[in-house]
Amino acid sequence: MGYIGRREAAPIIVEGLKKLEYRGYDSFGIATIGNGIELDKHQGRISDSSHSAGHLKGKIGIGHTRWATHGVPNDINAHPHTDCLNQIAIVHNGIIENYADLKRELILRGHTFRSETDTEVAAHLIEEAYESEKDLLSAVQNVVPKLKGSFALLIISKGVDQIIAARYASPLVLGVGDGEFFAASDMTPILDYTERAIYLEDGDIACITPVTVEIFNGKNQVQRPVELVDWSIEDTRKGGFAHYMLKEIYEQPQAFYNSVRAITRETIPAPIRNPESVTVVACGSSYHAGLIFKYLLEDSCAIPVRLDFASEFKYFSPPIKGVVIGISQSGETADTLSALKQAKGHNCTTLAIVNVLGSTISRIADFTLFMRAGPEISVAATKSFIAQLAILMQIIDFIGDGEYEEVLLSGHRAIEEVLLMDLSGAVELCRNANSIFFVGRGPFYPVSLEGSLKMKEISYIHAEGYAAGELKHGPFALLSKETPVVAICMPGETYGVMISNIKEMKARGAPVIALGEQGDLELSDVVDIFIPLPETHPFIQVLTSVVVLQLLAYHTAVALNRDVDKPKNLAKSVTVE
Amino acid sequence: MECVVLAAGEGKRMRPLTAKRPKVMLPLANRPMIEHLVLAARDAAINDFVFVVGYGEREIRKHFEDGSQWGVHIRYAPQRHQHGTADAVRSVRDLVTGPFLLLNGDMIIKSTDIADLRKCHPPCMSTSTTNHPGDYGVVVVENGLVTSLEEKSKYPKSNMINAGAYHFDPDIFDAVDSVQTSSRGELELTDALFEYIAEKKMKAHQLSYWMDVGNPWDMLDANLTLMGNLQSDLKGTVEEGVSIHGTIIVGEGSLVKSGTCIEGPCIIGKNCRIGPHAYIRGATSVGDDCHIGHCTELKNSIIMAGTNIPHFNYIGDSIIGTGCNFGAGTKIANLRHDHSNVRVCGKDTRRKKFGAVIGDGVQFGINCSINVGTLIGSNAQFAPNSYVAGCLGENAIIR
Repeated sequence: MGYIGRREAAPIIVEGLKKLEYRGYDSFGIATIGNGIELDKHQGRISDSSHSAGHLKGKIGIGHTRWATHGVPNDINAHPHTDCLNQIAIVHNGIIENYADLKRELILRGHTFRSETDTEVAAHLIEEAYESEKDLLSAVQNVVPKLKGSFALLIISKGVDQIIAARYASPLVLGVGDGEFFAASDMTPILDYTERAIYLEDGDIACITPVTVEIFNGKNQVQRPVELVDWSIEDTRKGGFAHYMLKEIYEQPQAFYNSVRAITRETIPAPIRNPESVTVVACGSSYHAGLIFKYLLEDSCAIPVRLDFASEFKYFSPPIKGVVIGISQSGETADTLSALKQAKGHNCTTLAIVNVLGSTISRIADFTLFMRAGPEISVAATKSFIAQLAILMQIIDFIGDGEYEEVLLSGHRAIEEVLLMDLSGAVELCRNANSIFFVGRGPFYPVSLEGSLKMKEISYIHAEGYAAGELKHGPFALLSKETPVVAICMPGETYGVMISNIKEMKARGAPVIALGEQGDLELSDVVDIFIPLPETHPFIQVLTSVVVLQLLAYHTAVALNRDVDKPKNLAKSVTVE
Repeated sequence: MECVVLAAGEGKRMRPLTAKRPKVMLPLANRPMIEHLVLAARDAAINDFVFVVGYGEREIRKHFEDGSQWGVHIRYAPQRHQHGTADAVRSVRDLVTGPFLLLNGDMIIKSTDIADLRKCHPPCMSTSTTNHPGDYGVVVVENGLVTSLEEKSKYPKSNMINAGAYHFDPDIFDAVDSVQTSSRGELELTDALFEYIAEKKMKAHQLSYWMDVGNPWDMLDANLTLMGNLQSDLKGTVEEGVSIHGTIIVGEGSLVKSGTCIEGPCIIGKNCRIGPHAYIRGATSVGDDCHIGHCTELKNSIIMAGTNIPHFNYIGDSIIGTGCNFGAGTKIANLRHDHSNVRVCGKDTRRKKFGAVIGDGVQFGINCSINVGTLIGSNAQFAPNSYVAGCLGENAIIR
């Protein structure tokens, strides 16, 4: 968030950051141009602190509330970051992928780094360019092409009455006031001051003074329209979405891609690249990710995988060698923590897969792999689940011979494709149901478990996930017109038997909603509602079918007027056993 | 000097007229009431305005933009949720730099009074006298200092009231920051003033003229007052055989046809068609693009833009929104047979003569009879021969 105008910047930025907190909340910081660059950074949530940053003076300022991706959350890694001389301050949303190379070169050229972040390289690069260009805008224009990855940057410099804003693949919007400008990742913090917005596009660099804004794409000046934002709608929305859950569902292509890219052969610890056996401990959705991993790893690498609910792990005889993987979005799940401690006590190699940097689990485990899902606010896990699968599939790829690399790198496109699918027919069937069965075989069995979990936790409709063949062993007695069955029936070895299972269910009068590959006439003829998924690799079909089931649960819950983001009786992370 | 104008409220008591516009944009003498205020302040040599806007922000911005058309500079401070006047003042913190004037946007005040208020050393509150002090904040003034301020008192100590125009120092911002939510559930500016009053710092400045527009029927008096300042100006075409008396303004592109009689003060907007044989009596203002037709009589009324009153109609002491259509023969009554005050929705207008308050886009069939004191919501529709009385909601359809 940035401000330039005639008011004191710090109080406006503090209030703005509080509204942006859903984008990240492990640390925050503000810089203003007062007597030089004045800086104030802290670990923790800005809304928990009584910080007013009132001691920061100046009418130009930038601020940031962080979600750690490079470097644990602490005061030093919090943004803004400055150059060697503390004359340039920057805040950054996104990931600079080539920061390691850039950092190495900068250190060789004598720059001193204070933080572990990717962002700091940009501060030093701009410092160098500013020395030669003597102009902040030109300096940023020279530096931006050197950065790979995604970024929304705000830059201020001592003695320059400007904010420079640069955007590539991360959102950045400017608010147009009367003799003042605002900049932020979305309109929420700006709407209190103005409803007039300029949305920057990829590659745009804006030079903002209190009275003017000039926008360049590369070196060419461009015009971007001033749009009127309907604050009354935006006010109640979460970055443009009706619920955090929907927002997070839509962030899944990015979460998957970023998480795949975050893991390289080098970052996978050696003991995990060639394990004798693997045990996975997890709870809830993370357990379903583990079960998918079990199917896929055993099938592609013939390595036995044992999977336990973290809460039940202690009642079994523990593995005494091999790798134990604990999966947790928050890294604070009490059961998973105690299971990993127990595994360590038996001399197992422990690996944590987690979304929150610096969380407890990363301190317990021998190794930690971070997903790149970003903060997940909604209680129902969506993008963290997809990010877990990204990491687990990368592990399979590296344990194997790398045959899935291309598949994984393009997986986000298929996810994007299914986001806009029309599920109204299926939602109509589900909202009136008193019970819903989700069935699949092979890796689609855990997908059906995840689908049923989403459905029950946010719509409060009783839902059961079943291995399709198991339905005959009891639950068939429950099938009726009021119990729709959601069947995942993708091509492959499970296809033929799934079709006959579906026919059996139809024969008992249950309406069937089927997820299948597009163009599958045999399947679409048999079922009541056919949801076509893109034709891709089976790994990716696991992802797309999960996303469709998330959307089905979401829309059903909305149709039933449920509190989607905060379902009754549930908490985001379960920190008690 | 900077001047802050409070213009964020919808003006719920002005419903249904505020369905499409904030209260301060309601027309008086064919200009939004806030424009009269800006012009009065401009004549007192004030050129720098901050409007606190909220409800209908876009209407206000669209009309004024940066104010250059009026030779002033206007900035806007949005107040997204109307938590009260103290909160509105908070929203301009740092936007004004030195001592400033603070004016409620919904009052009529003279430029000489604004100039005097400006000379009064801050903090200074303007006061006025009224016959209904209990409706306002009642003040007691001793030796030019406000010594007591009581909101909506049942037993007012005087007939002197707080007029809602102030001259403040920036230290008012610290005072409003300490204001707590009042029993009305609002953050009230007057709560920030008690310290000044207790310390005998708050000066009083008596206004020579003051009027606030609290209810729709107040618009009629305000309309008359503001027309008092006008000079006749016939920009449109007036055919031969039109009889004109008093101050009359006819806007560009308007045509007044033969046989029409106009008794001022009257103001007719742009591109109107008047007559033939219309009878318009003062003080009436007719907005742009209206049609006032054959044998239609208007008296002491405000007709907003785009409304058609085309054949054999009578409209007296009424306020009509934009885009209404009156069927032939539809009339509004404006006097009770017992000659007591007209009431609208149970509220005493304190007027013997009052017709109706009619929202935007209301459509009447032919020969509707609208009783005294009727209030009709926007886009209501009435079948021919309807008898219309009482309070009718938005989109009502009477068959």
